[in-house]
Amino acid sequence: MDGQVFTRQADTVKGGTSTASERVVAGLQAMIMDAIPTAHQFAFTGVERYAGGLSRENWSIDATWVDTAGAQSRHLMLMRDASGTLLDTDRKREFAVLKALEATSVPAPKAYWMDDDGHWLGTPSLVMDRMPGRCEYLVLNGALPLDARLKLGRGFTELMANIHAVDWRARGLDTVLDVPTDSPSRVELAHWDAEYRRVQLEPHPELDYVLAWLGLNAPKAQAIVLVHGDFKPGNALIEGEHISAKLDWETAHLGDPLEDLGWVTNSVRKREHQIAGVWEREQIVATYTALTGRSVNEAALRWWNVFSCWKLAIIQLTAVSEFVAGRYDRVFQTPSWLYRPMFQMMESPA
Amino acid sequence: MRPTVEEQLLGTCRILDTLVSPCVTDPYARTLLEGLIGNLRMLTSALPAVPGFLRSDNRATVELLGKLRADVAPELAASIALALEQPEPDTADMRALDQRNVELRGLFSQALCDSGLTAAMRAAALVHMGARAAAAPMRYVSTTTRPTTAPAKAS
Repeated sequence: MDGQVFTRQADTVKGGTSTASERVVAGLQAMIMDAIPTAHQFAFTGVERYAGGLSRENWSIDATWVDTAGAQSRHLMLMRDASGTLLDTDRKREFAVLKALEATSVPAPKAYWMDDDGHWLGTPSLVMDRMPGRCEYLVLNGALPLDARLKLGRGFTELMANIHAVDWRARGLDTVLDVPTDSPSRVELAHWDAEYRRVQLEPHPELDYVLAWLGLNAPKAQAIVLVHGDFKPGNALIEGEHISAKLDWETAHLGDPLEDLGWVTNSVRKREHQIAGVWEREQIVATYTALTGRSVNEAALRWWNVFSCWKLAIIQLTAVSEFVAGRYDRVFQTPSWLYRPMFQMMESPA
Repeated sequence: MRPTVEEQLLGTCRILDTLVSPCVTDPYARTLLEGLIGNLRMLTSALPAVPGFLRSDNRATVELLGKLRADVAPELAASIALALEQPEPDTADMRALDQRNVELRGLFSQALCDSGLTAAMRAAALVHMGARAAAAPMRYVSTTTRPTTAPAKAS
């Protein structure tokens, strides 16, 4: 599909026996026409579905058209819900978060349009700016010199602190995101427990054991902040040696700042978040504390370390369930590789 | 029986790899195909190990449940006793082995969450779960794509 050019007239936008890319382009054009009624002379080039993305279809599309303001050109990313997904998230909330971030220092794509009920694109979708940069989920342990990788490691922690500093009330996010009425740890646990029960195909004593521990040890939050919810280099773009954009805001919510910190400091995915000997849990926590002025309770952080692994296990069980139901196209296994690290974290002294 | 299951799976991988994959140009479809081939290769080595794993895990779980039942609520203890009285399935019947494993692990799950469990029993359960996780024959095969200049996505 790469480089394919689509030019369409308004009356041929929908229907017919078209390819997936043609259907996406038709839906996008219809959505633009709905948002900008004077738009015409459309052309769509470089239409390509990216291979990455485990929960949504990601389409790269260059669009041009003419409207009352003149000739328009956009480099777009279209995120479309897949028929089977690992994360049951809401496009309205994601769109609202992206809009709220436009007035902040957090680098995120500008959101243009939303198809919240799939009217134009078949399933709920978002269209946003395609930001410059490369996506490299192991960048902290990749080919860059150590100095550059350390700078990026610090940059990721600064980005996290900036996200947590977003004034979510002033940005109106309290009207679209749930404000936790209980401890965020308990809210998240209840949410993912329900998800676990929904997708469970067989007994998992290991996950039940960890769940019981999480229930007994859930910490209180120091603050309620905007949490990214899937904070990792694989959800960012890098230009040269700096972070040009943070992507994937579908899991953003209001919660405990230690939730994001707990993910990047847990032992399971060190290769993504840490650099052995120089940028490890201790340095990340110290940097985060210095940037935010927020002290980090070790027992609470350990709880979020365990929770993030348990949540990942539930997401993988969702993939198993969706695959078995014929709605998901990648094969996942029961996440037994996560069990022993979780047990070790639970047993380690606070 | 020739070709054996292993020979058939490996042959399928070879054909997909050498003949089909080069013809697939769509990046998304190609990534999926690479993941599926990788999973078939994993199954080639894992499949022969599954019956043995289930037999071993069933034996170990039966043994552990025999110890745990003294600590748990009477109703659950009775369910465990009933399950332990059942004969073990035919060792060649993988479906029956799997059903037995589900039954035993369901009871183990309940026992683990029983508040009466002693620290020693919890420790024994942890050892059992750790050993099982280490021995599980089927492993996730990553379908993560190579680094890209485009904003690839993952969750």
